[in-house]
Amino acid sequence: MKDFFQKNGLLILIIAVLLAAITAVFSYAFQGAPSPLSNVLGVVTTPVRNGVSSLAEWVEGIYSYTFRYDELEAENQRLQEENARLQQELRQASADSQENERLRELLGLREQRRDFVFESATVTARSSTNWASTLTLSKGADWDIAAGDCVIDASGDLVGIVEEVGANWCTVLTVLDANLEMGGLIARTESTAVLEGDFDLMGQGRLKMTYLPADTELIPGDLVLTTSMGGNYPSDLVVGTIESIHSDASGMSRYAVIAPAADLDSLVQVFVITDFDIVE
Amino acid sequence: MTRQDFLYKWFFYGLSLLPVWWLELFVLSRFPVLGATPMLLPLAAVAVAVLEGSVSGAGFGLAVGVLCDAVYYGGWGGMTLGMCLIGWGAGAAAQYVLRPNFGGCLLCSAGALAAIDLFRVAAGLFTGLGSLSGLLEVAVPEILWSLCFVCLIYPWYTWVRRRIVKFLRL
Repeated sequence: MKDFFQKNGLLILIIAVLLAAITAVFSYAFQGAPSPLSNVLGVVTTPVRNGVSSLAEWVEGIYSYTFRYDELEAENQRLQEENARLQQELRQASADSQENERLRELLGLREQRRDFVFESATVTARSSTNWASTLTLSKGADWDIAAGDCVIDASGDLVGIVEEVGANWCTVLTVLDANLEMGGLIARTESTAVLEGDFDLMGQGRLKMTYLPADTELIPGDLVLTTSMGGNYPSDLVVGTIESIHSDASGMSRYAVIAPAADLDSLVQVFVITDFDIVE
Repeated sequence: MTRQDFLYKWFFYGLSLLPVWWLELFVLSRFPVLGATPMLLPLAAVAVAVLEGSVSGAGFGLAVGVLCDAVYYGGWGGMTLGMCLIGWGAGAAAQYVLRPNFGGCLLCSAGALAAIDLFRVAAGLFTGLGSLSGLLEVAVPEILWSLCFVCLIYPWYTWVRRRIVKFLRL
């Protein structure tokens, strides 16, 4: 011990305390912005991350082609059938939309509008620790991405919220992360509640919906959407479906376990909503 | 050892962190085992501390801690101080209590990983992040899976140290 303090040990400890204090103050004061060192490391490693991600995708493609050919053929067949069904639904929806427009004009109602500005990005890395559920994307502030932007997958299902933005990278808190909290809407009953990540459910790939209205009857399978309460997030993005309903430890209130609609384990391409304008 | 030798030595040790960091960040994070990915950077700090002693261990631990705070999500400075203390403790333990060999490194690594995750579990309970069982379900596989990599990290740093000694003719 004496030896340690005689050989610059104390100086090293003092430097460690100072650096830790500076980092703590910075992370508290500039939430949503990475520390300068994090940003530099992120910028430097992004090309490597992109390369590794592309390589992994290529290897996975070859593996799938070699060992899962029959499975892919069956999936292709299923998708063709689904495509035919969706084409038919689209034609019907188009006719409905025209009818809706005519009725709106007749009643003098304001036109509904949902304008989104998207920025596509690739998932280049997954959680850097086991204590959070995050994704690192290949784009950042240089593409107008900001903390608080919603991230969706190709089907429009909510993936998470941008938490930290570097120059050419950003970190997304997925819907499973224990730090995520936002308003949610149960589509069938149109009742609102709070969506929040739960650490105990994170490992199972599930999240929680709390503050459920006491008089609402919920059914497993009910669709859960985002709400525009507070104007921070766009409404009607699909979060997932109710899997089960439970009472909390006190027995006084209920919560629902939600299975997210987005397949967070196999995401490659996502879309960041950098701006939105919704008129309902 | 001259000042130049000293700088060369720590430059090489710093360089040796790159493959460890990239293995953790780019490769192992894609293949979780029992839902856990290993922490290799703390193992690197412990291995160097075991080989070089408490003062060098604290210094290298400080550098590794700064890197951990920068690359792990949610870094707030705790790893900077924590890894410095871990480097100091591991170096002192290897010098005075254990032996500076693989067995000593394994024990010090187990202690370091347990200390990191004990702090995380305590912080998680204090902030209401999750239940004890939920936090332990993450911490235990993480420690066990990370410990497997001592077999890789300790020989790597033994080799790096041998090359440094040879290069600098110490």
